[in-house]
Amino acid sequence: MSVLHLLAGRYLLGLRRRTHVAAVSAISFGAMALGAAALVITLALLEGFQATIRAQLERTGVHAVLRPRSGRSLPGGDWLAALRKKHPDLQVRALTSSAVWCLAGDAATPATLELADTLSRVEVNRVLAARLGIGSGSSLTVASPVLALTPLGPMPTRRRLAVGAVRDVGPGEDGATVWVPSGLGAGLVIAGGPQTVELRAPAPEQAWDVASRVHSDVPDGVDVVSFRDLNRPLLAALQLERAMIGVGVALVIVVAALNLLCNLALLAAEKRADVALLAALGLPPERVRSLFLGLGIGVGALGGVLGTAFGGSVAYLLDRTHALPLPRGVFVVAHVPFRVTASAMALALAVSLISALLASLVPARAAARRDILEGLRYE
Amino acid sequence: MSEATSSPNAALPNAQERNNAVPGTSVAVRAVALAKGYGGGDRRVEVLRGLDLDVAAGEMLAVVGPSGVGKSTLLHLLGLLDRPDGGSIELFGENVMPWTAEERARFRNRSLGFVFQFHALLPEFTLAENVAMPLLIGGQRRSSAVAEARELLVAVGLAARAEHFPDQLSGGEQQRGAVARALVGSPRLLLADEPTGNLDAANAEALFELVQTLHLSRGLTSVIVTHNEALAGRCDRVLRLTGAADG
Repeated sequence: MSVLHLLAGRYLLGLRRRTHVAAVSAISFGAMALGAAALVITLALLEGFQATIRAQLERTGVHAVLRPRSGRSLPGGDWLAALRKKHPDLQVRALTSSAVWCLAGDAATPATLELADTLSRVEVNRVLAARLGIGSGSSLTVASPVLALTPLGPMPTRRRLAVGAVRDVGPGEDGATVWVPSGLGAGLVIAGGPQTVELRAPAPEQAWDVASRVHSDVPDGVDVVSFRDLNRPLLAALQLERAMIGVGVALVIVVAALNLLCNLALLAAEKRADVALLAALGLPPERVRSLFLGLGIGVGALGGVLGTAFGGSVAYLLDRTHALPLPRGVFVVAHVPFRVTASAMALALAVSLISALLASLVPARAAARRDILEGLRYE
Repeated sequence: MSEATSSPNAALPNAQERNNAVPGTSVAVRAVALAKGYGGGDRRVEVLRGLDLDVAAGEMLAVVGPSGVGKSTLLHLLGLLDRPDGGSIELFGENVMPWTAEERARFRNRSLGFVFQFHALLPEFTLAENVAMPLLIGGQRRSSAVAEARELLVAVGLAARAEHFPDQLSGGEQQRGAVARALVGSPRLLLADEPTGNLDAANAEALFELVQTLHLSRGLTSVIVTHNEALAGRCDRVLRLTGAADG
């Protein structure tokens, strides 16, 4: 054990009724620990909610989209069949869309009609189902802008369809949509090839890789829009939210570090006579600086480590025990989700350590530069 | 304003010095034209001005004089705790003037022993640990440093107090502990600043006897600042600093 460890240990222990040094060190330690714990718990909470949102996106959303670079329809040819053959695990759905009116009973609402070549039944999303008051087994009438010549003159094409299923909507999705098998919906859209192709992987977590898998299998003139690009605004908003709240909560650690700075400055002032005596006995200024740097970083690091461990444990237990329930039907999850990540814990540790280091620099430098004789005269 | 002077040649004992003999042949401490002042502008006070001083190896020199005349300043300059404004200092033949703070600290740790009037011991450490502190600062292992410290505590009659903390010791015991600390690691030069200043007559006498005994038995060179004329008179030589009107 070096003399610096010995000195730091005795100062922190507060021997011989000098408990105020130990007390202020304990306060600094506690403040750093609380700051680190708050940061870990907050980041775990954000990550928990955001992971839930991302999982819902992966589960309900499209994983990649192929669309024409220019023009209204995708190029012709057998490339789509080749794509299906090469990636049999992917759900490949060619869509032709049109704006339509949907009617059920007395209700009517504008909606988007998607003709899907692989679909076997009519599906509506929850938005449309809610607006028309329909569900699986109900029927609705689709009125298309494609005109049909009747004895009364040109009239919108109308078709009565039986709803086979209701789809969940993704986060932020508020448009009404009806999906109709291509054969059943022929005549409801202007003739032409498919306008887009939707791709889905069998497992939701594979959503992020679908675009890169098919990228080389589409002809020129077709853009592949990845899952990330499809959801870029939402993902960017989530990331920004996480960063801003993280910075805000990290300020707690900065405040704790300022407290550490004050306490170290007080300790250096309190021990100025002792430090002067040590310097007179041959302790070089560099090691005086190391002593106070070590004290500050030690308190900060220990507080950061224990606070991070405590915060991580609390977040883990809250998630595992479902201790914070949420009203059913309002949120997509039944309890407040926490997800502790290694990056969040590393961030809390790094912020604690860097803050403690910066907070210790000033008092450590001041202690090392203090005149020995001034210290020896100090009582 | 006062200036620090001694006899016409500060390097030589003045008329009031009882012992002119120089026990050693080599010079342990040499100060040439030493000058030191404090403050600036109109408030500048020149404490030492052109002081020349030689202390022979093995000599015990007492520095006396009225308060504010520069006794402690001289001791601090010789102990490398402060830098002079002018002049030069040689310790054991080495010119210390160009040394960095690190080099001065290393020299203090290895070759100098200090006894101060105040701040004798560190309150959070036992007496043995306090005595061992210079060795610990020098990088020695704690067990061997404390063992060496215990041997010195036997020599100063404080063996039974080794595990006591400073606030459990009397003033005299604390100063004896400080003497032990000053001598641990076998320094060559002992510098004591009013070591008996806080002690009653009996304790002051006992402490001075202890210092004198250790000085002789360890072949030290000692410079002792004191107000106590009787104790100063028992040193090999007395350097008397006197205040004088400026100009």
